[in-house]
Amino acid sequence: MIALTKGEIDIQRYIEAAKTKKTGGIVTFTGVVRDDGIEHIILEAYEEVAEQDLIRIAGEAINKFSLNSVDIIHRIGKMNVGDTILLIVVGAPHRKAAFEGCEYIIDTIKESVPIWKKEYLTTGERWVPGEHAPE
Amino acid sequence: MTESVNSMIVNIKAFARFREVLGSGFTLDIPMDSSIKTVIQEIANRSPEAAEMLCEEDGTLKGYVIIMVNKKRISGHERESLVLLDGDEVAIFPPVAGG
Repeated sequence: MIALTKGEIDIQRYIEAAKTKKTGGIVTFTGVVRDDGIEHIILEAYEEVAEQDLIRIAGEAINKFSLNSVDIIHRIGKMNVGDTILLIVVGAPHRKAAFEGCEYIIDTIKESVPIWKKEYLTTGERWVPGEHAPE
Repeated sequence: MTESVNSMIVNIKAFARFREVLGSGFTLDIPMDSSIKTVIQEIANRSPEAAEMLCEEDGTLKGYVIIMVNKKRISGHERESLVLLDGDEVAIFPPVAGG
């Protein structure tokens, strides 16, 4: 499944669903709200574009690394410390392809998908600069 | 719907910090055959904060500003020179930070 969601993500459900007779390895990436002195964060997306981008990235990864399956669930809206922001589940015949596919997906999401984070701190609020923001 | 045969309407969307400064969505009535540069100038004229956010001192578009037209990312010189059509959607936003 590829989706943006405002609800909590059931990680185990997606891992179980990725187990097929042809799957030898499942690699997951779970992005979590880190406690940097924040009260909560809000994620905002250009939703129509972000969903299509996630679908495209999943397809690219499947073709590039010969994966069996890809799930990408990205939350938007308000989240607290410890909440899951993003789940990527990659199923493949062998572990190497699964690791490489998962890394490709998270790197590409961080580089190009139109989603932003705003942190609400005890001392104020700030937009998180992207990893690909200019110096 | 256009106001007259010599003008056109484009739909602007802004996200994240840009949304906070500009508003999430609005329309602009601009001359027919205008480019993205005209849109940026119109928006920059709305407030000093908008101008500082989007434009260098010489009025050119800042390098970090991302532009999409009809949900397609625009790159290179077309970020300013692309000629728009009536009803186009122009999205402007800062670098992304998902994941």
